[in-house]
Amino acid sequence: MTHYVELDVRPILAAGGEPFGRIMETVTSLGPDEGLRLLAPFRPVPLFAALGSKGFTHQDREIGGGDWEVLFTPAFAPAGTAGEMSAARWPGPLMHLDCRGLAPPEPMVKVLGAAEAMQQGEVMEVLLDREPSFLFPQLAERGHEWQGGFDPDGVSYRLLVRIGPAS
Amino acid sequence: MTGASLSKWTLSYFAAALLSLLVAEALMAAGYGYPADGLRAPSTLAVVHLSAVGWLSLLMCGALFQFVPVLVNRPLAWAGLMLPALVFIVLGLVSLVSGFMAMDGLLETAAPLLPMGGLLLSAGFAMAVASIGLTLVRSRPLPIPSAFVATGLAGLIVAVALGLVFTQVLGGTLSAPVFAPIAAWGVPIHAAAGLGGWLAMCAVGVSYRLFPMFLLAPDPQGTGTRLAFLFAAAAVATAIVGGLAALFSGWPVPDVMRLAAVAAVGATVFYGRDVINFYRARRRRDLELNMKVAAIAFVSLAFAVLLPGALVALGRSETAVAACIYMAAFGWLSGLGLAKLYKIVPFMTWLECYGPVLGRAPTPRVQDLVREARAGPWFLLYFVSVWAGTVAMALGSATGFRIAAAGTFAATAAIAVYLVRARMLSDVDGSRRFPAGSLRPSLLYSLAPDGR
Repeated sequence: MTHYVELDVRPILAAGGEPFGRIMETVTSLGPDEGLRLLAPFRPVPLFAALGSKGFTHQDREIGGGDWEVLFTPAFAPAGTAGEMSAARWPGPLMHLDCRGLAPPEPMVKVLGAAEAMQQGEVMEVLLDREPSFLFPQLAERGHEWQGGFDPDGVSYRLLVRIGPAS
Repeated sequence: MTGASLSKWTLSYFAAALLSLLVAEALMAAGYGYPADGLRAPSTLAVVHLSAVGWLSLLMCGALFQFVPVLVNRPLAWAGLMLPALVFIVLGLVSLVSGFMAMDGLLETAAPLLPMGGLLLSAGFAMAVASIGLTLVRSRPLPIPSAFVATGLAGLIVAVALGLVFTQVLGGTLSAPVFAPIAAWGVPIHAAAGLGGWLAMCAVGVSYRLFPMFLLAPDPQGTGTRLAFLFAAAAVATAIVGGLAALFSGWPVPDVMRLAAVAAVGATVFYGRDVINFYRARRRRDLELNMKVAAIAFVSLAFAVLLPGALVALGRSETAVAACIYMAAFGWLSGLGLAKLYKIVPFMTWLECYGPVLGRAPTPRVQDLVREARAGPWFLLYFVSVWAGTVAMALGSATGFRIAAAGTFAATAAIAVYLVRARMLSDVDGSRRFPAGSLRPSLLYSLAPDGR
């Protein structure tokens, strides 16, 4: 079970300060089984990549009043419940691609190209016109994981790709 | 959700299919078979089976091994059967066609070529049906495109079973009285099950899935599509079940076939409406050559449906049947097949060779593998010569038909050359042809990304 060190950057930001240095300081001081519970007045998207590259997955939720709580968990630490683990393994997407209206195989080219620019553990969300049958073996070959399905409207196929270790 | 890999031996099927087509066209250009000889002459049977089994069936099997996994989004079952099935079908075809040529006196041999051919073909197609059929069975309930393919497999089973009986009766290995009426009156059922049941149903099913994909058009879902399937399935059921019932109870089989033909015309009307809608509702405005050519193939299908009516009205029913089958087999199915090869071969090659480096190195686009402006005129020659051949056949001009068949042979040979060039990446600019990490293509097989 990961123990989370809490850091609330809302007072720092309210006072006009810059919390980034403080966040990195806290992360550096974390023990091997420790994660970071960050409280912020907005969704701190740039941090997802910055801490992702340090081996942290993240799980974010809005806690009301526009404030956000983000749990940064070391990627190989034993997480809590299965739900927490899955949410931590599949963090909110950093990259969004809309490949609807593109003729095959352009969506495949775009997805594989975008994946090369991302870090391990990051997630990309892709909208497509149909299930990308020929893309799946390419993703598997590169060690990426994916989940996907048609939206309730049955028109758009929504694919999440979780980037695997660089090969 | 494992998706679809490249089918390893599909290109070997395509190569064997194209070779069979070229041989059949060369024989026609040489005046071998109908209309120089009779409709049921051994020479005609040789040409017909080279076209229907060697060309169209191998083409369809190769395409289904690749695209049924796409239709149902699951891997092909028993993929190991793909190569043995090809070997058995090719050996069976060579034996069968040699058997017909021996009947014709062109070959002198006492070998039981026809019964051997029938057995080998049955074994080969049984393997293909097992692999494709099991893939479909595991994916129930089937959407309409896959339902067409499943019905097509039923047609194939009946066509092959009847063919097996014919070869054994003709070869003298089967003489039980129960088979006598089949051998005497079953040929129209065999032909309807093969051409209409197997080849047409599968071509329609695959096109229902591939055309929206290539044209960026909405998938068909309406009542019209269900009616197209119901009419087509009714036509196949009438021809096969009704035909066999008529055969054993002594009714005239041709009457049942006429009833099946009416249902087939109904299916064509609803299918044609869907095809027109694919083209109209497409979001991709510029048509690739393969979709332009496919449109000409559909016009040929319309001719094939309209032509017999006109010829029967002129009192020439045998000519009507022959011209209609020639137009459907060479104008529609073969024209569509050549058009789709011109899309599928470059796509499979692109995915195999450049898939490993996509996003990591600059790669050519799929359309960089082909030279549409150069191939276009040959496709045009193909259709013009097939239409001219149909007219010559309708007018009873054997010489005119030979000249036209020479045109289809030349056009097919040129298209085959362009397909080989696409496969070998010959038309890709030198500097971009082999980026580091890309694979070199082999002419006859593909390497799947997961190494299967």
